[in-house]
Amino acid sequence: MEAIVEFSHITMDFPGVRANDDVSLSIRRGEIFALVGENGAGKSTLMNILYGIHTPTAGSVTIHGKPVVRFDPKAAIAAGVGMVHQHFMLVPSFTVTENIVLSREPRKGIFCDRREARRQVEALSREYGLEVEPDSRVRDLSVGQQQRVEILKTLYRGAEILILDEPTAVLTPQETNELFTVLRRVVRERGMTVILITHKLYEVAAVSQRVGVMRRGRLVGVADTASVSQRQLAGMMVGREMQPTAPRQPLRLGEEKVHIQNLCVANSRGLPAVRDLSLTLRAGEILGIAAVEGNGQSELLEAIAGMRPFQGEIQVNGRSIRGLSPGQVRSLGLAHVPEDRLRTGVDPEASVAENLVAGRHRAPRFARFGVHLRKKAIREYAEGLYRAFDIRGAGADTEAGSLSGGNMQKTVIAREMSAGAEVLLIAQPTRGVDIGAVEFIHSQILAQRDGGAAILLSSADLDEILTLSDRIITLYEGRVTGEYTGEFSKTELGLGMTGGGKEATHEA
Amino acid sequence: MKRRNLGSYFLSLGLSILLALGVGAAIMAVTGYHPWEAYRALFQGATGCGELGDLPSLLTQRQFGNTVEYAMVLFLTGLACALGARAGIFNVGGEGQLYLGAIVSAYIGVVLAGLSPWVVIPAAALGAMAVGAFYAWIPGVLKVKCKVNEVITTIMLNSVAIFFCAYLSNGPWKTANPNRVSGTDPLEAVYRFPQLIRGSNLTSAIFASAVIALLVWYVMSRTTTGFEMKLTGHNPRFARFLGLNVDNIVIAAMSVSGAICGLVGMFQVYGVKGHYQDGISNEYYFDGLLVAMIMGYRPVGIIVMSFFFAFLKVGAAGMELNAGVPGELYRIIQSVVIFFLAAEGGVKALLARKKTKKEAANHG
Repeated sequence: MEAIVEFSHITMDFPGVRANDDVSLSIRRGEIFALVGENGAGKSTLMNILYGIHTPTAGSVTIHGKPVVRFDPKAAIAAGVGMVHQHFMLVPSFTVTENIVLSREPRKGIFCDRREARRQVEALSREYGLEVEPDSRVRDLSVGQQQRVEILKTLYRGAEILILDEPTAVLTPQETNELFTVLRRVVRERGMTVILITHKLYEVAAVSQRVGVMRRGRLVGVADTASVSQRQLAGMMVGREMQPTAPRQPLRLGEEKVHIQNLCVANSRGLPAVRDLSLTLRAGEILGIAAVEGNGQSELLEAIAGMRPFQGEIQVNGRSIRGLSPGQVRSLGLAHVPEDRLRTGVDPEASVAENLVAGRHRAPRFARFGVHLRKKAIREYAEGLYRAFDIRGAGADTEAGSLSGGNMQKTVIAREMSAGAEVLLIAQPTRGVDIGAVEFIHSQILAQRDGGAAILLSSADLDEILTLSDRIITLYEGRVTGEYTGEFSKTELGLGMTGGGKEATHEA
Repeated sequence: MKRRNLGSYFLSLGLSILLALGVGAAIMAVTGYHPWEAYRALFQGATGCGELGDLPSLLTQRQFGNTVEYAMVLFLTGLACALGARAGIFNVGGEGQLYLGAIVSAYIGVVLAGLSPWVVIPAAALGAMAVGAFYAWIPGVLKVKCKVNEVITTIMLNSVAIFFCAYLSNGPWKTANPNRVSGTDPLEAVYRFPQLIRGSNLTSAIFASAVIALLVWYVMSRTTTGFEMKLTGHNPRFARFLGLNVDNIVIAAMSVSGAICGLVGMFQVYGVKGHYQDGISNEYYFDGLLVAMIMGYRPVGIIVMSFFFAFLKVGAAGMELNAGVPGELYRIIQSVVIFFLAAEGGVKALLARKKTKKEAANHG
């Protein structure tokens, strides 16, 4: 079959990271091609190159047999490429029609011909079976409907190659099925080509003809979907090489510190994120959560920290935290390294020293009578932490916002780990942190464990989970899909993370 | 903690002021006035001293008293605004809180007439603060509990308060004196704050104001409460994450801000006017709010800048009288100072954004 898109030897370097490494791939006309891989494997980067957002460091792209000379979304659109991003690019206060025709309005003289625009949108929506109400405002639409508008927008612009970046991450199962029906239809009836970025292996099986797997910027394999099992795909995604666990003292399990029973948590859009989850966490262990982003791990940690309402039962140190504020949960002996340090973990406008004592600033050693700040004591204490956690910046007196991402993270870690907490929630401890700091942060986490803390660790970096954890659970769509201790293969873990676990047990 | 920044900050502030005076001089020169004469007249208008040699007599000059009194109004309202802003709530309703404080304190002085000033004055002050605090508490709660934008509610509540006071002072609380069109009965002389400079607006209220200013500065920059306000204002999500009761902090900051505004109203009644009348505040709060914004809600800066703006405003009247230069010139100078300071902030923000973008790219 003829190739409609041809990537040859694409390499893409970002400062400090190689996002794509010598990727060669051809996409055939009229197929649905699934591109799978872990977070940060380079899938989105590759597709952004096709859409003209990035110019590759090396290599070339051919569309319709014509090499791309200038990487620019306008040129890509003209060549028939359309992309639906994970985050929709719509104007909420505009109507569906306005959003679709925006920048290419049908004209009558110098005016926009609204009637004609509406007619075209209606025709398009009928033609492709993408039902939308042309006159409703986008802000009133559900996420699934907004996605349809995005797809219609690309079709209106004459796209023949449709890239969908994790389209189902925001959809309900019902909406996902509808989307797949539409995709099959546009491929069958219109001869379109669809490239689907996803984490979910059952989707690969459900809708694609071929599948490519990426890992760490490389394309590790391309296969006909019918000829590979989910187990094989999961294995390719996570790789075979087992990360050895970091050296540590033998496990000395203490008492139960966190007890979770039948927990359900909704995400910010009100959809279920954690479903009927139960787990226990004991003193002296690191429990790692292996999950692709968006499978409920963030909501789980936030619920335990008292930052998100939940149903079911969460006990910290034997006390139920129902109805407690984040401050009250902390006073039960919990500390929390949040996944989004800039939004949740620091005050970028306050000094590093202030960030380091924040939360404990009323303690007698930092405030006389809990009122008058002892600036000298705070500075001395902060400078101690600053040195101990090897924070590198212009000093503890400078604004935290002036620190680099890694040093900001060390500031958060320093504050939370010096709190003497018995329970530690740690999310994405080394995201955006340079290699040297990674090792340091890991050693700090292990030191806390050896000191008897109960640690719940969540990270998008599977190797980090493997290195640090005493025990691992996989989460998929808010459910625990497996628990792993001792000997297990990375493939099993990959299956648990991608929802292929069930099929795997049948196979075995 | 940020001493290093402070030096450069005052440098840029001084430069802005000099540049603004320069622009003012240029405008005067172009429009046919003599800048040097005009600025001398401005100085005389604000201090009462024609020559530098007269300065020792400053403390007896009526104009100087008025300048200090207006500076007091500016820094009190400015600090009130800063208190809210520090905790992340922008009180634009100080004008209304000030009016209510004024009329309530005037009313208390009238109904308690005959009692000892040791009773009446504290009662009036408490009443003014309570009504101001309550009137600020309303938008505070609305913001916290119902996510209603406080800027809109406070602006609307201003009109409500001002017209309600107009109703009271023209209706039920109107003086019985037939020679007066409106306003409350005058206070007994024993309740009036003593004038510090004869014939000027400067009264002993300045001492209370100094104490309040010191207190606000202390709370904002030296206490755990001020620290918590700052964290809340900068990043409420982080403050909540740390376990602070963000809602209460915001409401409390807003209420205290309102209490101070109410007290400024009482100072106008007991210090300057001797009774409540319509227009008791000539948009004083908005001038104070401006000062607070220009100075980035920093207490010390607000106090310093209040004196400069008071100097300009009071001096401008003298300039108009003695050099024939329209008093509006002070608005021009004020605007140019604001422009330069704002431009500086804008440049800084731009640099900071570039930096974070670079970082984001590095980690992307």
